[in-house]
Amino acid sequence: MSNTTVEQPAVTEADGPQVMSWDSGMRRIITIYIPLSIFVIVLLFPFYWMAITAFKPNGELMNYRDNNPFWINHPTFANINKLLFETDYGHWLVTTMSIAFGSTFLSLLASVLAAYAIQRLRFKGSDYVGLAIYAAYLVPPSILFIPLAQVVYQLGLFDTPYALILTYPTFLVPFCTWLLIGYFKSIPYELEECALIDGASRLQILRRITLPLAVPGLISAGIFAFTLSWNEFIYALAFISSTEKKTVPVAVLTELVQGDVYHWGSLMTGALLGSLPVAIFYMFFVEYYVSSLTGAVKE
Amino acid sequence: MTGFTRRDSFAVGAGAVASAAVLQPGAARAAIPMAKIDPPKQPIEAGAELRVIRPTKFVDPDEVVWNENTAKFTKATGVKVRTDFVGWEDIRAQVAVAARTGAGPDVVAGWANDPHLYTDKILDMTELATYLGKKYGGWGRLPEVYGKKFGTNQWISIPMGCGGGALVYRKSWVNEAGYAAPPDDLTKFLDLCRKLHKNGHPVGWALGNSQGDGNGTATWLLWAHGGYQVDEAGKVSINRKETIAALKYGAELYKTFIPGTLSWLDPSNNKAYLAEEISMTSNGVSIYFVAKSGAAKGDANMARIAADTEHARSPGTFQGRAPEAANTLNAMVFKHTKYPNAAKEYLRFLMEADQYDNWLTQCLGYWAHPLLAYDQSDCWKSDPKILPYRDAQKMTFWDGYKGPITAGAAAATAEYILVQMFAGVCAGQSTPEEAVKEAERRLTRIYKKG
Repeated sequence: MSNTTVEQPAVTEADGPQVMSWDSGMRRIITIYIPLSIFVIVLLFPFYWMAITAFKPNGELMNYRDNNPFWINHPTFANINKLLFETDYGHWLVTTMSIAFGSTFLSLLASVLAAYAIQRLRFKGSDYVGLAIYAAYLVPPSILFIPLAQVVYQLGLFDTPYALILTYPTFLVPFCTWLLIGYFKSIPYELEECALIDGASRLQILRRITLPLAVPGLISAGIFAFTLSWNEFIYALAFISSTEKKTVPVAVLTELVQGDVYHWGSLMTGALLGSLPVAIFYMFFVEYYVSSLTGAVKE
Repeated sequence: MTGFTRRDSFAVGAGAVASAAVLQPGAARAAIPMAKIDPPKQPIEAGAELRVIRPTKFVDPDEVVWNENTAKFTKATGVKVRTDFVGWEDIRAQVAVAARTGAGPDVVAGWANDPHLYTDKILDMTELATYLGKKYGGWGRLPEVYGKKFGTNQWISIPMGCGGGALVYRKSWVNEAGYAAPPDDLTKFLDLCRKLHKNGHPVGWALGNSQGDGNGTATWLLWAHGGYQVDEAGKVSINRKETIAALKYGAELYKTFIPGTLSWLDPSNNKAYLAEEISMTSNGVSIYFVAKSGAAKGDANMARIAADTEHARSPGTFQGRAPEAANTLNAMVFKHTKYPNAAKEYLRFLMEADQYDNWLTQCLGYWAHPLLAYDQSDCWKSDPKILPYRDAQKMTFWDGYKGPITAGAAAATAEYILVQMFAGVCAGQSTPEEAVKEAERRLTRIYKKG
């Protein structure tokens, strides 16, 4: 091994922001920008693929020998036109959104009360109740949909949006409750004790102290609940039979997959437009979402 | 109850259709030979309304003509009918819910073995099926298997159409390989595929978990070699020398395939064929239909492909029987319906020549007729290239051959046991003997439950 050393040029303030010797530009490229770029490409590629497929004519979709699969040579609006004007896509979108909002609201309401009770009231066996609620989340919908169908039918809700608004909480409530239990745990109990000393009731504490502090957690749970409702398939397929009442994931498949002929262009347009509301939702609340994952109130 | 009987409805319906035919001289009805038989007496219940579900359209005319025929029924009888179209893979979940809850659709036009899973929940259709059979020259062999409760003469459903899976090939490339048409002999057929592969035009059959094409590939190879998964009594019989021979043949044939067929799903061979990546596959008429539609829209590429495409029976005729089944649309009426007569009348109306022939013709024969008199339909004279699909109902193999059609047979198909057996050998993951043993183990488990 050689003992020769390479003399480093001195860095002066005039050279720009000071960079530690280990924090060189090359190091940053290798440790930050390249991995970041890979993540970005992997995460955004499906959206890119959906977008270019939405604007590709069938001839280009069929023939990758003469056409670059990653680019569009002759963009067309035919797929968008077919989806928006030859199907009830707008109607499906509104139905899906109403159902997602309805079930998310109900689930959050129930989950806040459940999580608060389990985490703060500390009644006998509360830990086991928390575990039991989480265990309910593990029951797959493919097992539940037939018994639930009987309940839905006996309540007279079959083939109505209420069938979904009321059944989605069966998997949303356990998930949101579990998430909120963790969040409530990170809010210092001393804050509530102060309120109790000042004479506040439990409900007042929940409304005036805990919930305002738990907004990031609520948003996080809300986003998850909304996304799960938006994408749900099996209940929407089983409990709704009228074409006009279907949700986007079911209706798009019914209308645009005809036997073994897949209308890929319109399917991708439907998937792209269908993912936009969720993406916008995330965009507005991403800071709350991140803060809920990184911890609540710092003591 | 109104005084409106089925006979009246038939007269009104016939009148309405006759006027429609006058307005549309192109309607091809005169060619269908019919016996003079009185329809069963099924007076329609007062205030009847029906809900119907069926798989989503294969091509636009499938839905359009179905709805037109339904509207004609409503006009003739006053019975309101609502049809909902459900995804092909998804209809079974809705049928299961309807059967379990006793709610939902009155009539389900489902898949071949669906009625056999709910025999205690659906109406007897013997009278109607017998009438249709007598009037229209009898039922084909395959619809008879799927329409009757297995091993009995009791009809439990009305088969409405059989989507056959014939060979689809490029004539010029097959000619270039030295054959006028794909030979029926399996050795010669393998030779043709090798030559096509050598000429840069590989063939391709789906070996992925795909409901239609994947299962179709596996059963074709198995049946062509005289194999079967269970015997007549439902005893697992896959571990036989015929199955080993089929697997060895499949492995040789696989060497002539385009890469990637192990992951092919139902749309994959359509795409590969229309992209001119493969020269031959097995499929319904959909590939040709898409090419022909493209040609009609002025796509020169599609016009060229359509002109060069031909169809033929799958090779490997075994004891005089083509080794194919067909994707059968099979209609049943649930016992929970309040209007059983209206439901049966609706099915009868759809199957009568005035309605059925137009549906058959407009769909380019995708749902080939189950009643033999429709052999004479103008549909089969419109384009000689689709003739191989005409005889889909004459096939003598069925899902779960040669055992009873049970939940076990349906589960074996749904779990792709035969497909995975072939795929494992083709991929070189297992020897034919290992693959057969594994398939036998899985089939035994399923048939014990089913």
